[in-house]
Amino acid sequence: MPRIPIDAVTPGMIVAADVNTPDGRLVLPAGQTVGARHLDIFRRLGVVEADVADGPAQPEPDAAAVTAQLSEAAAYTRDFFAFLDPDHPLILALFRHVAEAVALDMARGVTLPSLSERRAVNVEHLADVMPMEIAAPARLVAHETELASFPDIYFRLKEEMESPKSSMTRITALISRDVSLSAKLLRLANSPLYSFTGPVDTIERAVALIGMDQISTLALGVTAINYFKGIPPELVDMKSFWRHAVSCGLFAKLLATAAGINTVERFFVEGLLHDAGRLILYKKMPYASTDALLYARENRTPVVEAERVTFGYVHTDVSKSLLSHWRFPSGISDGINHHHDPAEAADPVQAAIIHMADLMANAMEIATGNLYVLPPFDPAAWESLGIGLDRLPDILASFGEQAAKTVNAFV
Amino acid sequence: MSLSLSTTSSSSPLLLRRTAAITDDEFREFRDFIYTKCGIWVDEKRKYLFENRFGKRLGELGLKTFSDYLRLLRHDPGREKELQQVFELVTTNETSLYRDLKQLDGFKAHILQPLLAEQRKSARPELNIWSAGCSSGEEPYTLAIMLHEELGPDIKRWNIRITGCDLSPAVVAKAKAGVYADYAFKTTPEIIKKKYFTPVPGGLKVAPHVAALTSFMTLNLNDTLAIKRIPKSHVVFCRNVIIYFDDAMKKKVVGSFYENLAPGGFLVLGHSETLHKISSAFRPKFISGAVAYQRI
Repeated sequence: MPRIPIDAVTPGMIVAADVNTPDGRLVLPAGQTVGARHLDIFRRLGVVEADVADGPAQPEPDAAAVTAQLSEAAAYTRDFFAFLDPDHPLILALFRHVAEAVALDMARGVTLPSLSERRAVNVEHLADVMPMEIAAPARLVAHETELASFPDIYFRLKEEMESPKSSMTRITALISRDVSLSAKLLRLANSPLYSFTGPVDTIERAVALIGMDQISTLALGVTAINYFKGIPPELVDMKSFWRHAVSCGLFAKLLATAAGINTVERFFVEGLLHDAGRLILYKKMPYASTDALLYARENRTPVVEAERVTFGYVHTDVSKSLLSHWRFPSGISDGINHHHDPAEAADPVQAAIIHMADLMANAMEIATGNLYVLPPFDPAAWESLGIGLDRLPDILASFGEQAAKTVNAFV
Repeated sequence: MSLSLSTTSSSSPLLLRRTAAITDDEFREFRDFIYTKCGIWVDEKRKYLFENRFGKRLGELGLKTFSDYLRLLRHDPGREKELQQVFELVTTNETSLYRDLKQLDGFKAHILQPLLAEQRKSARPELNIWSAGCSSGEEPYTLAIMLHEELGPDIKRWNIRITGCDLSPAVVAKAKAGVYADYAFKTTPEIIKKKYFTPVPGGLKVAPHVAALTSFMTLNLNDTLAIKRIPKSHVVFCRNVIIYFDDAMKKKVVGSFYENLAPGGFLVLGHSETLHKISSAFRPKFISGAVAYQRI
C-alpha cells in the first residue's frame, strides 16, 4: 500500500489505513473515500501523508445512520453558532443545514476536531516587525508595501481600463503576455462561476464572452492574490485560506444573483479578497496574531472580535490602508473594507452581500475542520438583500455543486 | 426516508436555542451587575454567548427567566455562593505553563537577572512577585521554576514569595492542587517538564520545592482594599487579564498595581497589551521584542 504525501492525494482515492493526526486522533477510517473536504481537514490538522489503495469503497451511509448522528452533530455544530441569534430564521436554517452535513460525515466515520482541541503552535521563532504600541494599520501596510510592490500587470491593466483608447484587442494582448494570469482566467471562465455553453479556450473568447470591464476586474483579483507571499504557515494554511476566499467569492456571486444584481465578477473578487488584511497582520505581526487566534479559541469568540481586543483594530482596517495604497477601484474596496460593518459602507447592499457570503462560507467550513466561532451577523444586512428565506436551500445546493470545481479552478 | 434538506428540516426541526432567552433589558441589567461586582465588562456583542453560558446555569437552578436569576443574585440568602458561580462563568480559564517564551526570556535577561544581582548584595535577599489573574496557577509555577533555575541550591538563602490570585475560587483551588494535563506543557521545554513535575493520576504535579515558593488566594481586582493586603511587589505579572475590563476599570487596576509596586518595580502585561492611554506613571522598557513597564 503506497504511503503518499497529502499533496498527492486526490478526491476519489480510498484510504487503506486509518488517517490520524500527529496527535493520534482518527480523522478518516480505513476504507473511506477521500473527498475534497477531507483534504481540507487533513491540512488543517497537520496530517502529512496517507495510505491509499484501490479497492471497494465503503458504501455511503443510509438515512437512518445519518439521523442517528444528528443529535451529536447538532451539539458539535451549535458551539460554532455561539455568537449568533439562535432565533433568527436564517441562522437557524444555516445551523440545520450544517448539522446535517456534519451528521453525514460522522455517519461516514470522519472524526471532526472539537472546539476545545487545543493546538498550541510554537511561534517562538517568529517576531512582530514592530511593537504593538506603534503597529497601526497604515504603518503595517507601509512596511509591507515598501518591501514588495504590487504586480506590474495590475497597474497596466488599470491604466488600460481607464484609457479612452482601450479596446478588447489591447486588453487581450496585455493579459496574454502574463502566462499565469491567462491560465487562471481561462480556468475561471470554464468554472461554475459562468455557465457558458461551450469550453472557453482563448483569452479572446473569454474577453468577448465575459466583457472587458468584467475580465479586468477578475484579473485584478487574480493578480492581487499573487501578491501575498511569505505568510507564516504556522499561523495559516494558505490553501485553506484561499479555499475560504474562493468559497466566499462563490457565495457572493450566488447571493448577488439571487438579489437580482448581475455583476458577478466584482462580487467574486470582493469575496476573494475580503480577508486580505488578515494576511498582512499574520505576516507583519505573527506573534500578536497568534495571541489573537488563541484568544478567539479560548473565549469562543470570532477571530475578528479577537483582533479588536488584541490589536485595537481589525483586518478590514488594514485592508482599507492596503487597498487605498494600491488605488483599488473604490467600488470593490468598499465591499471588502466593510464586510463586517456593512451599514457603514458607501454601498451597504453590496457590502451586505460580502457580509453574508463570509458568514455562509464560514458555516460550510464547520464541516471541514474550521476551529473558529462564526463571525457576527447583522440582520439588517440580510434584510437589505431582499432574498426570501425560501431561496436559501437552492443557494446552499448550488454552492455544494459548484464549490469543488470553482476552488479547483483557482487554488 | 430520503435524506433531503427540506424533508429533514420540516419533519424534525432541530433547535439552535438550548436555554431561556435573555431580553435586552435583562442583559443590560446583568452586565451592569457583573461590572459593579468585579469590573469585567461584557460587550453587547457577546449577548448570545452570555445567554448560552448562563442559560445553562438557569437550567441547573430550575429557574425560568434571567429576571429570576437576577433576583436570586440580589436577594437570595445564598447569593454570595452563587456569585462565585457567576465569576467562574464569566472568566476564561485556559492558559499554559511557560506561556509566551520570548517575553519570559526577555523578562529573565532584562528584569529578573539584574533584580537578583541587586538583591544578592543584601544579607537577606528577597523577591516578591505578584501574579494578578493567575488562573489555575500556570504562571506562578512558571515563575517559581525560573527562580529555581536561576538560583539553584542558593535559593535556600532567599525569601521568595510568589502570590497568585484570581477571581474564581474554583480556579484558585486548581492552582493550589498544581496538577496539569499535557496541553498545559505545549510550550514548556521538555527538560523543565521532567525536572519539576511528577506523574500523578490526572496529569503531572508540580514539585513541592516549587510550590513552596507560591501562595494562592481568591481576589477581586475591583477590591482596592483587598489588594492592599498583597505584599509590596518587585514585579507584577498581569498578562491577558485587563483586556476583559473597560477603560475605567483598566485605569483603576493599573493604579492598584502602581500602589503595590516598590519604586522601580516592573509591571509585565500580555505581549500584545499596552499601557498607552491607560497610565503615564510607568516608563516602558524594551525587553527583547516585548515591553515591560517600570514604575516611575
